[in-house]
Amino acid sequence: MTEADMLYGTSLSLESIKVIAESVGVGNLPDEAAKQLADDVSYRLKQIVQDAAKFMHHAKRMKLSTSDIDHALKVKNIEPLYGFSAHDNIPFRFASGGGRELHFIEEKELDLNDLINTPLPKLPLDVSLRAHWLCIDGVQPTIPENPPPVSKEQQKLESIDPVTKLNKTAKEKGEAAGKPTTGKMHKLRNVETVHVKQLATHELSVEQQLYYKEITEACVGSDEARRAEALQSLASDPGLHEMLPRMCTFIAEGVKVNVVQNNLALLIYLMRMVKALLDNQSLYLEKYLHELIPSVATCIVSKQLCMRPELDNHWALRDFASRLMAQICKNFNTSTNNVQTRVTRMFSQALRDEKMQLASLYGAIEGLSELGTEVVKVFILPRVKHVADRIENATEGPILSNIDKIAAGHIKHLLVKVLSPLLKTLRQPPDYVEEYRNEFGYLGPALHTAVLKARAQPANPAASAVGTTNATATATPAPPTIAAPTPRGLPSQTGIVQTGSSQPGSGRTIMMGGAGAPRPVVGSSNASKYVIVTSRPTTPSQALQPSPVPTSNSSTVVKFVTASQPVATQKIVQATASNQQMTKLVVVCMANSGSSTCTTQAVTNAGSNLGVKSVFVTQQQVKIESGTEEQ
Amino acid sequence: MQSSVPETAGNKHASDRNTLLAIAQILRKYNLKNTEELLKREANLTDVGSTEDTSQTDSEVSSVLSAYKSEGDPEVYVGAYTELKRFVEGALDIYKHELGMILYPVFVHMYLELVYNGHEEQAIQLMERFGPDQEEYYQADLKRLSHVTKKDHMKGNELTDTFKSSEFIIRMSRDTLSILKRHLQEKKHSVVLNIIQEHLYFDMYEGVARNKQQIEATAGAVVGEATRQDNKAKVYYGLLKEPDIQYLPVEEEEDGEGDGTDKPKKKKAKKDPLFSKKTKSDPNAPPIDRIPLPDLKDADKLEKVKALREASKRMTLSPDTLPSVCFYTLLNSAGVVTSAEVSEDSSLLAVGFTDSIIKIWTLVPQKLRAMKSAEQLQDIDREADDVLVRMMDDRSAETCRTLHGHNGPVYRVAFSPDRTLLLSCSEDTTVRLWSLQTWTCLVCYKGHIFPVWDVRFAPHGYYFATAGHDKTARLWATDQHQPLRIFAGHFSDVDCVQFHPNNNYVATGSSDRTVRLWDCVTGNHVRLMTGHKAPIYSLCFSVEGRFLASAGADSRVLLWDLAHGHLVAELTGHKGPIHCLAFSRDGHILTSGSQDCSVKLWDFSRLAEEMVLEDVNISHNPDIKKSDSYLLRSYGTKNSALLHLHFTRRNVLLAVGIYEGS
Repeated sequence: MTEADMLYGTSLSLESIKVIAESVGVGNLPDEAAKQLADDVSYRLKQIVQDAAKFMHHAKRMKLSTSDIDHALKVKNIEPLYGFSAHDNIPFRFASGGGRELHFIEEKELDLNDLINTPLPKLPLDVSLRAHWLCIDGVQPTIPENPPPVSKEQQKLESIDPVTKLNKTAKEKGEAAGKPTTGKMHKLRNVETVHVKQLATHELSVEQQLYYKEITEACVGSDEARRAEALQSLASDPGLHEMLPRMCTFIAEGVKVNVVQNNLALLIYLMRMVKALLDNQSLYLEKYLHELIPSVATCIVSKQLCMRPELDNHWALRDFASRLMAQICKNFNTSTNNVQTRVTRMFSQALRDEKMQLASLYGAIEGLSELGTEVVKVFILPRVKHVADRIENATEGPILSNIDKIAAGHIKHLLVKVLSPLLKTLRQPPDYVEEYRNEFGYLGPALHTAVLKARAQPANPAASAVGTTNATATATPAPPTIAAPTPRGLPSQTGIVQTGSSQPGSGRTIMMGGAGAPRPVVGSSNASKYVIVTSRPTTPSQALQPSPVPTSNSSTVVKFVTASQPVATQKIVQATASNQQMTKLVVVCMANSGSSTCTTQAVTNAGSNLGVKSVFVTQQQVKIESGTEEQ
Repeated sequence: MQSSVPETAGNKHASDRNTLLAIAQILRKYNLKNTEELLKREANLTDVGSTEDTSQTDSEVSSVLSAYKSEGDPEVYVGAYTELKRFVEGALDIYKHELGMILYPVFVHMYLELVYNGHEEQAIQLMERFGPDQEEYYQADLKRLSHVTKKDHMKGNELTDTFKSSEFIIRMSRDTLSILKRHLQEKKHSVVLNIIQEHLYFDMYEGVARNKQQIEATAGAVVGEATRQDNKAKVYYGLLKEPDIQYLPVEEEEDGEGDGTDKPKKKKAKKDPLFSKKTKSDPNAPPIDRIPLPDLKDADKLEKVKALREASKRMTLSPDTLPSVCFYTLLNSAGVVTSAEVSEDSSLLAVGFTDSIIKIWTLVPQKLRAMKSAEQLQDIDREADDVLVRMMDDRSAETCRTLHGHNGPVYRVAFSPDRTLLLSCSEDTTVRLWSLQTWTCLVCYKGHIFPVWDVRFAPHGYYFATAGHDKTARLWATDQHQPLRIFAGHFSDVDCVQFHPNNNYVATGSSDRTVRLWDCVTGNHVRLMTGHKAPIYSLCFSVEGRFLASAGADSRVLLWDLAHGHLVAELTGHKGPIHCLAFSRDGHILTSGSQDCSVKLWDFSRLAEEMVLEDVNISHNPDIKKSDSYLLRSYGTKNSALLHLHFTRRNVLLAVGIYEGS
């Protein structure tokens, strides 16, 4: 539509007039009359709308409302249209067909009885008055009532293109009122003359330094009330973006240290900080995921998180961190960074590892289960029997370790909790203990009872969520005896079929919707699409430890590459490559910064060189992924 | 009567005769028999008989009154306009822009002529072809005009009526005008010539032609610019000498007469050259008895003393010492709240709602009390010092009170200077006066017949002014149910009204994009200021009374010098309609609040200094200051559109806004 059309355009069409005429009983309205009417009615309507706009402006609104029209009619001494009041927009529906396009307002017929019988709607909230300081002596305080000094979009822009920050003159910075550091103008003028050294200076004002100190102390201190306050501040204060890098480093370093020292309490406090930062609406966290994700992952799958694993409840930390991870995946997963894919792979590798500590195994399962039903179905379900075997060993085997026994108990409980709603929908009603025992080994009976119990309660929210998954797309779990790694028929071309490894146990064809595949994938907490493409050959000699903390496990290089240490990464790669046990280092870079790394996975592959042998076969195309880059 | 062919003498005679006949017809219609007789005798019109068919004469009347009757060929308009445009474009650069000013009015009247004579297609064609060429700020009007495509539509259309009934005023230098005249004589293009003769008024001035910026600065109003005559009258913009108040709060405050309750002057202000004029000797001040003012009551004097004491603690603002801003957010109010006002002493906040109610909050710990009942009042010792306190009922104390009475959205509320009365105006065409002691409605003023947009109390109380959709502003006294003055002259809604601090003048801003200043005593308009490009929603006089700030839907703040009615500065930066303006109590800082959710602070003291330096007289238009360097700060709110700004006596800025939701 050109500008001229906009300017001198619209009027009612002849058809509309005729339709309206018919609706009031005028059968054959001649074209001439319709034209005259259309012109005149359009003109009158425009007049009324123009008058109504005056009422809108004087009511300090930007949106025309039905009452404005009524007032305009009143001014013209026309009876207003009673009964057409709406507080919000009246949505125009669009329909087309038979070569005609129609915009109309949907008017449903309401049954008076229904109207009378429905409970009264909630009273609208009363208008209330709230005061805050918009600025104090010319400086805008960064409090939640004020807009964030640098909007999220601006933070994003600066993180992508730091030059924009430089281009802003000192004056503009000063005018971006409320910067606590720039309370005095003369300071800025000095800056103007000084030549700019760095792209982005990370100078914190004294107040900010104090704040940082207070917050970090409170967060890891012993005073619970103060901590709650500090976390509240982290979750709601709009002016934190300048301190964000330091906060993230604080968390990352804190996790590293406290994992080694097995200081469970501090780890919990740090995770709560992560939670608070995630909850803060005004922060652009994408830049700092490379620090946060490894820390959170550590708290999920680390072998030991506390001094007395048999007594302390480190399971709660793993659960909490798993939820955080799910939240991160939900918030930040994009097609370029593939956070969820990578996180899923990390967990599933841990799950597949025979030598994995039971505590880590628990973490991996918990981490996966938080990512949604689909993930559970694809990655946990096939492994249940193996896990069951290990649990059996731990609980009833000859060498009874108390720690393992407790861990086994927790895993059992977790699996039952996670799998029962899923199995309920996947399996047909006649449930036989024997089938379950065949399929899930040691866990069979427990799962059986859980499923029976779940079936007894029909309106289970979890079950209904699962029920919406496309049950036909994925076959019911194949019996573990199927060894043939042949791809199953795929309903969708874009799906990636991954042929399993030579291992009979997991040699099931897994098929998943590809990224952006139209297949609906429903996760309980995560409605986004994802590709999970891991079914690496696991050999007995392979060890996997996705923990970013150096442990005594000899075959694993556990090293986290942070943004500041790209060189170190290279060294590790070389060092481990020359080692007898070939170590593969997966360095995954975040999309937004070339030098930062997100997750580092150390996979030792006995007998293989750097790189992972993994072939991904789609039905139509063959996709070969190198280990370092995910599609 | 504008026949396109050169008129012969006979023709002229006939037309004169027709006019007289028409007048006689009207006289008869209104039963003015004597006048009709006189006219007939004078004009020797003997043949105006009753034999004439009334319908015929009716059409005669309309033809005389209609300015657009033309037998012209509808096809010549495009050619004529093109030629005029070519002439303008081909003129010398110094004259080009002034000549360009005639294009828009000529275009509009051509369009209206075509529409009037039923040449709908040609009219639309003309609009489509040349409409987009017109200046940006006329596009809104052109859009409204383009809706008018039939003669019927012209009846009752505000815009066409305005164009028809008034001349479009263009200020032009002598040279430019002579060039234009020569051109018109040469070409003898009757269409253009007629329009220019009938509908354009040239206000000629001596001197060089103006450049594009100068022209654009004052262009934009519906009926063109202000003539020199409009702004010739003397305006007493100085402040009134305040009656001496016995109490001297602090020693230094010797000349403590200040400026009274509304704008207490501060000794600090005198350091500034601009404000150095003492009110006592202000040559520009009106005589104190020019307009009768209410006598000061004891309570008022006490109040003034209090105000002065507060003012002595005031922070003097400057670009280095900026004020603090306290923001009152009205929650859950999006689309419900229409107006807000803070009382002069910053203790009360009144809010008008779309659902006809008014709510009043107290902003201080002191609660809102109602007066005791009549029986209880009888028991009170009337001689007691604290009688005013005693008559209030402590049990009725509340932090928020609601006033019911209106029948439509409340578009403005205004506190009386002594805080005992509240005025409100509404869509229901009434203005109501409320008592803040009994919390009831006292008077309902019915004078406007259309929605009332604005109401303001005079700084000394007693008087108040209203403005409304009926294109008038009115001056009232609280004890009269009829308006004292009706200020008529705007061509569209009067959207806002404001009293001059000296009570003698009222400024109005209108949807016809002009600001006018009216003399309360004579009822005449003494200043006409053009330059806004959109309706004006807010006005504010500077503390010392010389300058007027106006702002509105065009997102700009314009500053006017009342001495001569010149536009002196244009402050740009907002991105949405501006609904509130406020000067700090010391007059150093101007603040504006807009629907773009920001408050901006402007360095008015610097602006005023620079303005004073300039040699300004009535004919010499000063340069318009446009630089955005006057912007000191901009504070964004969290999605809260600004509704009202108010400086407390200590120069803390109170802002009221509506939270629109995230």
